Amino acid sequence: MTRQNVHISTMVLAVLIALGLPLVVHSPTYLHIMILLYLYAYLTTSWNLVGGFAGVLPLGHAVFVGIGAYASTMLYLQYGVSPWIGMLVGGVISVMIGVLIGLPTFKMRGAYFALATIAFGEGVRVMIENIDYIGPLKLNGPRGLQIPPLNVGLANMLFLDKKPYYYIILFMLIAVLALTWVISRRKLGYYLNAGGEEPEAAMALGVNVARCKLMAMAMSSFLTALAGTFWAQLTLFIHPKSVMSLDLSFEIAFIALIGGRGSIAGPVLGALLLRPVSDFSRIYFGDKLPGLHLIIFGVVLILVMIFQPRGIQEPLTRAYNKLVDRIVSRRARGVLESA
Amino acid sequence: MPDTNKILEINGLAMDFGGLRAVDSLSFSIGEGEILGLIGPNGAGKSTVFNCIAGVYPPSEGEVFFAGEKINREKSWNLCKKGLARTFQIVKPFSSKTVLYNVMVGSFAVTDSTAVARRIALETLEFLQLDDKKDVRAANLTIPDRKRLEIARALATNPKLLLLDEVMAGLRPTEVDDVVELIRKLRDRGVTIFLIEHIMRAVMALSDHMIVIHFGRKIAEGKPAEVACNPEVIKAYLGDEYVISRD
Repeated sequence: MTRQNVHISTMVLAVLIALGLPLVVHSPTYLHIMILLYLYAYLTTSWNLVGGFAGVLPLGHAVFVGIGAYASTMLYLQYGVSPWIGMLVGGVISVMIGVLIGLPTFKMRGAYFALATIAFGEGVRVMIENIDYIGPLKLNGPRGLQIPPLNVGLANMLFLDKKPYYYIILFMLIAVLALTWVISRRKLGYYLNAGGEEPEAAMALGVNVARCKLMAMAMSSFLTALAGTFWAQLTLFIHPKSVMSLDLSFEIAFIALIGGRGSIAGPVLGALLLRPVSDFSRIYFGDKLPGLHLIIFGVVLILVMIFQPRGIQEPLTRAYNKLVDRIVSRRARGVLESA
Repeated sequence: MPDTNKILEINGLAMDFGGLRAVDSLSFSIGEGEILGLIGPNGAGKSTVFNCIAGVYPPSEGEVFFAGEKINREKSWNLCKKGLARTFQIVKPFSSKTVLYNVMVGSFAVTDSTAVARRIALETLEFLQLDDKKDVRAANLTIPDRKRLEIARALATNPKLLLLDEVMAGLRPTEVDDVVELIRKLRDRGVTIFLIEHIMRAVMALSDHMIVIHFGRKIAEGKPAEVACNPEVIKAYLGDEYVISRD
């Protein structure tokens, strides 16, 4: 058994467990928690294309979630367009907005970029809160939009059961992870990492850093918008404070920082650690101490930054590799002895 | 008019930073396959000359021709694709990545395929005798290895002209000899070399031609032996009282 075989079996096992989970877990509450876990892992993986690989810290990704949610919902409510198509429309609009934000801000360094993205995100949210109509399109300001649970079915991405949502977001997560894996092994991945770490050196080696970052931003905003549509279809009610809030942008960044920025496993591990914390603190303390999960996030973030500045993926990857080594060498010894 | 035999030709180059003229009316050229040494006291403007050539700053005045083509306003990433590579005086490795990864970023300049980039990078590492460290994280390299990595990355872009900015600074004498040998081998492979260096022994041994600048102006030019005896050069480095007058 080679290392690669072990890696493949681990991945197949993880996917099988994820696929089989709804056969064992029937409680809609727990399924919903899992759906949110995958959703955040998906959002963070999309964020990671810019925030991890390209080495900048965007803190306004909720804008793209909002664009995706509003675009598909408005098209569905007013023109009966299937959210599957609305999803792509939201994605395309997001790409345009993403590039528009990226063009001037990617020249900024460090905290200035982060601040600019926060400002933009909040600006858009406040605007949407104060607009009822854009031409014929009804935004409904702070009251948000509601999708009636009628005409359920796959065509409208609308279900009464949690299971279809579970499989849709699981599939989206696997797809985005695969995409990240492919990118990280190609020229663009190398160029993004290089440009993020030492832009001057990267430029001298033939990397058009600004263009690479814009490409990453375009992909990231597109993928994030798709999750926005999914969110709208899942909760059937969106308003600016839910899909465009600063909390959401921060939570994505927290998960990435704690899990491990710039690694493929980081966002998933971060979501696995933090989402349950968030959900259970909301369930148990939500009425008495709302926002407790953000305090817990903060404490965990500080601890991780002190003891594991590359995120929890690093010690976990090391432990996993050690385990793989042991399996591989034991097999090798077994083969030798039997021969 | 640019001379086609010259790989790099510079006419009246000047660079201003605010009110400070860091480089002033500098003209020189490098023939193909040559090694040109640029020396000068600290703050003379040597690295600024490199930065003007390599597209980091657009020069305030003057013209820069690379292989007969004017490259004044060209961006550094495009210059790299045309065959002009450089190293940095303060090494800038991608620290969290392995040596091989670092060099592959360079070799992607000549290919889009990961497999080909890896092959070129491995060949380059072998040439620089860094292949045994290919899986080491760049942050964990020693200073001489970091300097070598800097050269390896630049070399992986397959340059015609390589600008080396103090690649020997901070090395021990035996390590300097290794790098001198390495630069000779590079030249034998057909790479034209333009180097800034403070270690006189090395730059004297390597250069076919030398240029000395002081306060951004050229004060001497010629074969290493001629430059070393030039009273202007001695004055710039050591002060007036060290010039042995001939009368």
